[in-house]
Amino acid sequence: MNRNSIAIDVQDVVKTYEEGRIHALTGATLQVREGEFVAITGPSGCGKSTLLHLIGALDRPDSGRIVVNGTDLAHMRDLSHYRAHDVGMVFQLHNLLPTLSASANVQLPMYETQLSFWERRAKAQSLLEAVDLGDRANTPPTKLSGGERQRVAIARALANDPPILLADEPTGNLDSKAGQMVLDLLRRIQRERGVTLVLVSHDVQIASAAERIVRMLDGRVVDAGVT
Amino acid sequence: MPFFVLIFRNLLRQRIRTLLTAVGISIGITTVVALGVVTHSFKSTAKDILHAGGTDFAIGQAGSADLSFSTLTQEQLDEIAAYPEVDHAIGLLMAFSKLGSNPYFVQLGIEPADLEHFEVPLLEGRYLAPDATDEILLGQEASSQLGKRPGDTVELKDRSFTVVGIYHTGDVWEDGGAMLPLATLQEYERKSGLMTLIYVKAKAGTDLDALTARIEEDHPELATLRTLSDYNEVDQGMQMMDALNLAISFLAVFIGGIGVMNTMVMSVTERTREFGILRAVGWRQRRVLQMVLGESILLCLIGALIGSILAVIFTRVILIFPVVRSLLAIEYTPDVFIRGFAVGVAVALLGAIYPAIRAVRLSPIQAIRYE
Repeated sequence: MNRNSIAIDVQDVVKTYEEGRIHALTGATLQVREGEFVAITGPSGCGKSTLLHLIGALDRPDSGRIVVNGTDLAHMRDLSHYRAHDVGMVFQLHNLLPTLSASANVQLPMYETQLSFWERRAKAQSLLEAVDLGDRANTPPTKLSGGERQRVAIARALANDPPILLADEPTGNLDSKAGQMVLDLLRRIQRERGVTLVLVSHDVQIASAAERIVRMLDGRVVDAGVT
Repeated sequence: MPFFVLIFRNLLRQRIRTLLTAVGISIGITTVVALGVVTHSFKSTAKDILHAGGTDFAIGQAGSADLSFSTLTQEQLDEIAAYPEVDHAIGLLMAFSKLGSNPYFVQLGIEPADLEHFEVPLLEGRYLAPDATDEILLGQEASSQLGKRPGDTVELKDRSFTVVGIYHTGDVWEDGGAMLPLATLQEYERKSGLMTLIYVKAKAGTDLDALTARIEEDHPELATLRTLSDYNEVDQGMQMMDALNLAISFLAVFIGGIGVMNTMVMSVTERTREFGILRAVGWRQRRVLQMVLGESILLCLIGALIGSILAVIFTRVILIFPVVRSLLAIEYTPDVFIRGFAVGVAVALLGAIYPAIRAVRLSPIQAIRYE
């Protein structure tokens, strides 16, 4: 890991919805260094989640450039490989499949690797143990608490050892105790694994856990913050 | 979990819907397989008649709509018998009439003197007397169905015949019917001097290909029948049966496909968010496609399995009818079941292709936000 190299480089990104009537991003620019923990904050509707989704390649921008680890996402024909291997995504709503066990949910991204069934299962178990849920591997999400579900979602995001972790309001649906636990977990993972962590939160207190706080307003980054 | 298990578990999420769809598909497959078994069995049974009496081949009228409508003359029989390679030629008149509960009781008219040549193995009694007019030989199955033994009488078209013997040839049509003097059958069928088929036994060492080719060349109005494919070419009924089979298969694919499409569209729509999540965690479009098609194919294979079992049950049940027993011996061949499963896969692909394309075209973020 080279803390001076740029992991994520967002340049003047514009994104609109509903045939241009809704301007989600109006020229957002942001750089995140490798291994850095950055929190993006701002009022509701400022475009912070949209920016995170574009970095996560869940959608494509109308214009502008997003370069991740030296690769321009616009030049990638199939973004699935990028989503499977280069970034891990944690959503506000855990987005786990309710019919599968915690272990099976964690294994989902691994279907896009060469790992065997046994290797996938063993790795999922190890990741669940890393988020202190080793004993809940066979439990479906419906029988887990909100905090536990979010920890399973974090384990799933780490399934293919991505160098970047993107968390969209990961504590938004949790009580303060569970939210703190999830935040501590994300910080621990960022430190221990050296991953680049970009966290979106409207909660300034949550955002203050980051090394740098980026503020957005009306679809732009208005304060890139300092480390 | 293995990908296959994931596909299987997805089907189990809506157990009732999966079961009902599989049963719906199975009805089409039952039709395809049962019809295939019956058609094949009928052909196989019909093929036996081509070599009846241990002969080498049969001759019928070329272009007859159905081989039972073939009409040949005594003159033609004499001409065939005159070929130097022919050891003996036997004329046979075939007729069907209602007897007891059997509306298609097969009657074979044969010269009593030809019975020995025709190698009809007797179980009881004796052959027809050379000058007999009112004697009849019953096949073993017919004897059993009618409860008639040698010495009993049988009423056929208001005429009484005395049963003089019981035979068993192993051919379903022969064993389910009767043999009576050719002249008698010609008389009451009003086909004086006419017959349906000529059976030929060639002399040892004869090149049968050359002989049959020469007969057809000399007599373009005749068709020689050695194999089932010869029979298929001549008999329009067989061709119609094949065409009907094909048409029903297409219909089964179409109707089944609509049912599967309905199920898969519902399933894909309900799981829009799930597909968004799978795409968001890195699943390629191809893997989502594999999952949707895999679910559809598995569903249809379950339907094909149920359909094949039902077809076997159905084809066993129809054998309780004496008329069926006297017309065909049911045979199960792998190709009929393979065709049933192939129809199942065709149904699966037809029904799933639209929902599968719909599933893979979803943008991950739009799908995740789908309510």
